[in-house]
Amino acid sequence: MGVYVHIPFCAQKCNYCDFHSVVVGDEESFSSVADNYLLSLRQEALYYRKIWGQEPLDTLFIGGGTPSLLPPDKLASFILFLREELPFVKHPEISMEANPHSLTAEGAKILKDVGVNRVSLGVQAFQDDLLLAIGRIHRSEEVGGSVLALREAGITNINLDLIFGLPGQTNEDWVKTLEAALELEPTHLSCYGLILEEGTPLTTWVNAGLVEVPGDDQQAVMYETTCRMLKAAGFEHYEISNFCLPGFRSQHNLLYWHNRSFIGLGSGATGYIQRLRYRNAADVDGFMETWNEGIPYYEESATVSIEQEMDETMMVGMRLLQGVEEEWFRNRYQVSYWELYRGAIEELLQRDLVEYKEGWLRVTPTGLLLENQVSSAFLR
Amino acid sequence: MVQKNIRNFCIIAHIDHGKSTLADRILEYTGTVSKREMAEQMLDSMDLERERGITIKLKAVRLTYRAQDGEEYILNLIDTPGHVDFSYEVSRSLAACEGALLVIDASQGIEAQTLANLYLALDHDLEIIPVINKIDLPNADPARVIKELEDSIGIPGDEAVLVSARTGQGIEDILEHIVARIPAPKGDIEAPTRAMIFDSHYDQYRGAVAYARVVDGTIKVGDIIQMMSSGRKFEVSDLGVLRPNLVRVESLGPGDVGCLIASMKDVRDTRVGDTVTIASRPATEPLAGYRPAKPMVYCGLYPVVNEEYTALRDALDKLQLNDAALTYEAESSVALGFGYRCGFLGLLHLEIVQERLEREFDLNLITTAPSVVYQVVLTNGSVMEVDNPASLPPITSIDHIKEPFVTASIMVPDEFVGAVMDVCQDRRGVFVNMEYITPERARLEYHLPLAEIIMDFFDRLKSRTKGYASLDYEFMGYRESKVVKLDILLNGSPVDALSCIVHQDKASSRGRGLAEKLKDVIPRQQFEVPIQAAIGNKIIARETVRALRKDVLAKCYGGDISRKRKLLEKQKEGKKRMKSLGSVEVPQEAFMAILKVD
Repeated sequence: MGVYVHIPFCAQKCNYCDFHSVVVGDEESFSSVADNYLLSLRQEALYYRKIWGQEPLDTLFIGGGTPSLLPPDKLASFILFLREELPFVKHPEISMEANPHSLTAEGAKILKDVGVNRVSLGVQAFQDDLLLAIGRIHRSEEVGGSVLALREAGITNINLDLIFGLPGQTNEDWVKTLEAALELEPTHLSCYGLILEEGTPLTTWVNAGLVEVPGDDQQAVMYETTCRMLKAAGFEHYEISNFCLPGFRSQHNLLYWHNRSFIGLGSGATGYIQRLRYRNAADVDGFMETWNEGIPYYEESATVSIEQEMDETMMVGMRLLQGVEEEWFRNRYQVSYWELYRGAIEELLQRDLVEYKEGWLRVTPTGLLLENQVSSAFLR
Repeated sequence: MVQKNIRNFCIIAHIDHGKSTLADRILEYTGTVSKREMAEQMLDSMDLERERGITIKLKAVRLTYRAQDGEEYILNLIDTPGHVDFSYEVSRSLAACEGALLVIDASQGIEAQTLANLYLALDHDLEIIPVINKIDLPNADPARVIKELEDSIGIPGDEAVLVSARTGQGIEDILEHIVARIPAPKGDIEAPTRAMIFDSHYDQYRGAVAYARVVDGTIKVGDIIQMMSSGRKFEVSDLGVLRPNLVRVESLGPGDVGCLIASMKDVRDTRVGDTVTIASRPATEPLAGYRPAKPMVYCGLYPVVNEEYTALRDALDKLQLNDAALTYEAESSVALGFGYRCGFLGLLHLEIVQERLEREFDLNLITTAPSVVYQVVLTNGSVMEVDNPASLPPITSIDHIKEPFVTASIMVPDEFVGAVMDVCQDRRGVFVNMEYITPERARLEYHLPLAEIIMDFFDRLKSRTKGYASLDYEFMGYRESKVVKLDILLNGSPVDALSCIVHQDKASSRGRGLAEKLKDVIPRQQFEVPIQAAIGNKIIARETVRALRKDVLAKCYGGDISRKRKLLEKQKEGKKRMKSLGSVEVPQEAFMAILKVD
């Protein structure tokens, strides 16, 4: 179980991104917004403390937006607050996302001191023209410095986020990005195929024919390149888009893929508590106003039935390359997935999209690239 | 009411020339309905009709009007459908009248259906009152339309009434013209009763309701009536007139128009065109002109999931209660399983039925490409009617095949005559005649295979003439034709439901076009899907739907779980609308793809 905190602030919007974030103004005005926002987050945390109870929390993930945009001391004291007020275990995994452009060595040190032990850097590509094309604020040369700063501060569990399928990107560009990333010796790599999200500038340009992005077939080639290269570099491919050195899986993200409960804090954040799935409104001002009055401001919230949860557990579980263990599922729900989904599973087996070995049901290499067809089979 | 104060009339017009609006204004002016209670276009009562702006079922409304001569008149307004699919129904409603308002748009002028309807009206000896409508519009040119009337139809221009149905200008003029010029009915009240059914509809509580025009004699509540085509007898429980709501009356006499309720189970008991008489004193001769509705176009209707087969049958049963022209019988397809072969008056009729089945009965259907009825003359001399390409007998047992032809009349501005000729030529048309209605407008007559007409002909015609061409056609007969069966193979197996019958000269281009079209509509799947078009054993075209390489969401974290679920459920919903043929998922539109091929 864990806690997700959303920091919806960015220095500028990347044109492919549909995550909730607002562009911040000058330092002074941002500083007061940040204070207010962190205050509301504390109120929200206290609200959920009562509902959550005593179940131990092993992970904290600070995502965004750009969490590294917050003054490190303010973020640090917020992290300390959470660790004191919520039932965290003694040594939780504490991850945060950072932009190479806004991460400093001193900042890293301050955060390390309050327990941040994993940082995910938004790198995306190692070619400045590609970074420019997608509206990133940082330049590729800054990445090396960030990694160094983190290591100096004592944060050695480092993930790099990379994207393939960028406008004009070739397979060779992508290979170079992977090579450059490996050279920095991260413990973890997230490699995402670009998704054209509705409503983003990039999608508008692509639809208008102004920008061209590699198609699905090209993305498939890039993806296969990724799997091959990272495996050769000693990385374990453990989720569709995630690779790590042995022992460095993201514990927080595993929580999602195991469909576990988590507290979500912040404007636009989602949470899943006692089978209530909620999504906070993506509205920073509204978030701060309603928490002044001590009430949540949901965009949507719904109780997930046990049947629906079982479906979703299969749906997200099959993203893991190890698959879903029959015994684990049975212990959790007192029913075998064979009993619930026999027809669907048999069809998937027959189509060679999944395999069942020694009590684990998992995707095959074919099923990996057609994972939607696998997971949708479990939606009743 | 004595016959001399009755006027029975209808309104005929080309589509969109303002027939329904004019009817509304007349109803309003005579106080039949108040402005407040009038939903726009009173006479079009079905949703579908309103959306398409086409009147499918005709109804009759009784108006009362005190004329300038001081007398009160009963005016029965009989509505007529405006589409060529329903020309027989048009002819029956014309036969119920003594006069017709011929509505012409003041800016569009005379169109193909204007003429077709006019000729029909003249066939029935109707008094014609030309009405030039929409004179309030800035581009109205009544003088030109009057000249067209004089030149092409020979109607003196001073007989035309100028109106704007939108503003109500000229409505009283129309009513005075109706009273003065349309003859009163001249039925024989003493003769054995004869009434003609010109429309009917099914009512959940009353059963079939017939709309009839009494010609001779009288019908009273309690009479035992007899249908002269079938001999079936029913007791009249109610008689009424529509004002426009049903008002009960005790009897209907000669010249009257009204509706008749007699515990008839469905509309097949009240065939349009049939003569009603009184069983105790039957007429010897029925009124002329009855013919049972004959389907011209057939297609297969199949449920996407087999479980809906019974629901489909029940729905067709229900629709048939209200639609005597719809026929269906069970059939099965290797590819699609069990379904129904359905017959329709034309493509519009087909589309209406299909849409109602999906909308009102919530069925998920696959419609196979429509086919005309071929007459196949076998080597043993016998003739077999084939309305389904899949049931065409082996080529060795066929001597020759005949296909239905129509006489098509196309009106078009002079500058598009060449384009019309191109389209007709391309569709195997045989030129018959061309005449100029005015120096700027020509009327072309062609003999065309009906099979070509149902292949998107009108859309093509419209697009080649910037929307100016208007079309009317009527069945003319069968002609020998060199047609062959075109088969489609998916993944190497023939799909019977995708077969079609095409002319030999067009077979290879249609085959190529169809394969290309299918490649576009069949989504990529786990394995590549070869598409082949074949005539007999000869493959004439080949395309491939490449295998789906990637169908995966790169990201799925906490916030994405419900999003992903929704997305996958949507994907799944889309899949439900596809038919699994072997291992190939085929969307519904694939079965209609042939219609979109040049």
